[in-house]
Amino acid sequence: MKNFQWLLYLSMIGLLSSCIGDDIINDEVDPIVRVVNLIDTLQVGTDYQFEASFLNNIGLNEDVPFDWSSSDPSIIAISPTGIASAITAGQVSITATATTDEDTYDQTFSLIAGASTSEVEETSVRTGTISTTSSYELTGEFNITNTDGPLLIDIGEDYRASSALPGLFVYLSNNPNSISGAKEIAEVKVFSGAHQYTVTGVDINKYNYLLYYCKPFNVKVGDGKID
Amino acid sequence: MTRLHIITIFLFSLLSSSIIAGGGWPQPKGKGYFKLSEWWLISDQHYTDSGLIDPNITTGIFNTSIYAEYGFSDRLTGVLYFPFLSRTYNNNIVSGTTGEVLTPGEAINGLGDTDISLKYGLTGQGAKVAIATTLTLGLPLGNDSGGSQGNLQLGDGEFNQMIAIDAGTGWSLGNTPFFANAGLGFNNRTKDFSDEIRYSFELGANLFNKKVWAIGRLTGTESLKNGATAETANSTSIFANNSEFLSIGGEIAYNFNEKWGVSIGAASAIRGEIIFASPSYTFGVFTRI
Repeated sequence: MKNFQWLLYLSMIGLLSSCIGDDIINDEVDPIVRVVNLIDTLQVGTDYQFEASFLNNIGLNEDVPFDWSSSDPSIIAISPTGIASAITAGQVSITATATTDEDTYDQTFSLIAGASTSEVEETSVRTGTISTTSSYELTGEFNITNTDGPLLIDIGEDYRASSALPGLFVYLSNNPNSISGAKEIAEVKVFSGAHQYTVTGVDINKYNYLLYYCKPFNVKVGDGKID
Repeated sequence: MTRLHIITIFLFSLLSSSIIAGGGWPQPKGKGYFKLSEWWLISDQHYTDSGLIDPNITTGIFNTSIYAEYGFSDRLTGVLYFPFLSRTYNNNIVSGTTGEVLTPGEAINGLGDTDISLKYGLTGQGAKVAIATTLTLGLPLGNDSGGSQGNLQLGDGEFNQMIAIDAGTGWSLGNTPFFANAGLGFNNRTKDFSDEIRYSFELGANLFNKKVWAIGRLTGTESLKNGATAETANSTSIFANNSEFLSIGGEIAYNFNEKWGVSIGAASAIRGEIIFASPSYTFGVFTRI
């Protein structure tokens, strides 16, 4: 019996020492500054408050200070907090700059000082192609349509996906390698042919990737960049 | 992939117990073989449904088990495989950019699924070719949906029944005894899990003045692919199914004396579908009565 006891002790030590470790994933993406309420024309003599967001190097929203500048303040001036004032007719470039501990990032857009203020026409449709990033089959085209209500994600007739993995979920994400901060849409129930997902409360420009992920086992299966 | 835990546990560790017991040879009446062993596998990759290898979150499985054979008669042997202490875990997923833990790892401990078997010798003790048939009942004692995602398993949650036949023979080359054994079984599984054909081949030599058994082993499972998939199941509670593999392994057993000995072994799938693509290891202490 001493032999059994000896092995039992060793087994207990082995079990207790089988601790949870770390799996490190490469989840770095290019940071993005995004002006969320764009207009293309600002009426002369009026003001407009621009707002911007910053997606950091893992695709998550991060509060950072922004600086705003105009290419010609005599036509359109802009305060450090993003309030634009149209002074006289003309066209300028406006730049929103986000400053982090590591670097600065910016977005530049054109703005006209004119007779009336007009918003940039909202994107109505974005498209993309789903492709596998694993050995599991996953392919197909998709469209994302902005409606007055929810977003509609239409997966095309050419869509094919392996049903071998359980718990395959589809997400909207700003990081193609992580579901951290992603919007979970639904568990995948259709593995071939056209189908549709409905997403409420999401701006059509908020996310840049459609991501397919085996949720129970934390395995990325594929993605599609949203153009 | 978790399915793979179960398959690997029950095939690799159970078959590894047959190194100097089991096969076509029932225990003589009143005699027995008992083995306490530790088996483990840690893997960060798996065979996909197309047979290629993909990465996965690192998963560890540890099994402390008792394997016992006892001869009720010269032809009828009772067999128990009881993993009384099992542990499985997933690693943390950590951002390589920020160092932040994105998904915390988890672990569960408990009993594992247990097999009880009756082996009946079709040939008598001392036959040149020993043939035995075995009925195995797989008892779902292990947790089949642990962890926050329900993806940590110490068992598959289904009651399976397997019937198998083994044929073994022994011979000597010079002063070196050898044995060979071949086994073939059909595993009928419930709860929409795929049925399986299992097979094994073993070749062993008794070396160093009969102190050491060296065994080579080829084992495999061919799925009938009649299990549920994510497409046909209504929920994610049906884990990866329709798994199969071909594994190669070996084991060394050292006999301290006629009653006691120790063994170490390893095995790894060289082909598979929906199964881990990493080696498993085992060591144990055995005794005969």
